[in-house]
Amino acid sequence: MSTTRQLAMSSYVGIGVGLMVIVCIEVILTYQHLPTRTLLFSLLCLASLEGFVAIMYLMQVKYERPILFWTIFPVTLFVLIFLNYLWPDAFRMFNMRLLQ
Amino acid sequence: MLMESSPYGIEKKKLGMWVFIISDACTFAAFLFAYGYMRVGAPVWGTPFEFSSILNGMLMTAVLLSSSLTMLAAVRAAQAGTKASANKWLGVTMLLGAIFAALHLREWFKLIGEGWRLFYNPTGGAAQFGATFFSVTGLHLTHVVTGVIALGFIARGYNQGRYDESHVETAGLYWHFVDLVWMFVFPLMYLMNAQ
Repeated sequence: MSTTRQLAMSSYVGIGVGLMVIVCIEVILTYQHLPTRTLLFSLLCLASLEGFVAIMYLMQVKYERPILFWTIFPVTLFVLIFLNYLWPDAFRMFNMRLLQ
Repeated sequence: MLMESSPYGIEKKKLGMWVFIISDACTFAAFLFAYGYMRVGAPVWGTPFEFSSILNGMLMTAVLLSSSLTMLAAVRAAQAGTKASANKWLGVTMLLGAIFAALHLREWFKLIGEGWRLFYNPTGGAAQFGATFFSVTGLHLTHVVTGVIALGFIARGYNQGRYDESHVETAGLYWHFVDLVWMFVFPLMYLMNAQ
């Protein structure tokens, strides 16, 4: 169970502060006037880092059995990546017409 | 009757919450991917957020992150069996959730006051901005409000002895997920549209 090995509450506050620092970095990057795609990629990378920390420490997956992590996350990532892969294909719909 | 223990070592309600979280993550991802493609693909896109709105977004992030920490404190207190402390922290979490919702609505009303609508862009850019912004942030706001209500029920049940610490822990999992989603919504919906 997740109750056996946990960090002290002060460590979680440190993690919260760390996450807020990442948010500040995101805001600073926003005002560097980067190209849209570069900014999008940078923000996604930082958000993914924040998400990973939140899942491992706030949602306490780090303290669960490893099988939970290995059951949930590879599959979810696969679905999300495939979702991203299939979305551009949806643009084909704009050009599809019924055969007369 | 012989019952096999869970290979995951967690209670079934917590496993059920994980399954819900995965499906909900896919829902949010679908919305955000759709937004991302439209945002990058549109030649002219609205950038309505002044620095004051970004500051408001940072404040919302700080409030939600703080609520995650207070939720952790509530779970810790419930696991330690200190009912009064758990209820106190659940109350603080609900309060922070309500503050987040109020800040969110303030931003919405500001945009609506400037003329932004679901299918209208007052700056003349892509009309999809309103549709994507209000739907993604609205979906997230619905999760926050639902979470606050759910926490209220959990706190009441826990106080009356109908629920135990595992219910508080499962509710906490949902609350952290709401926080996790915001970590993607804020940079993609706010920072990508900053002036």
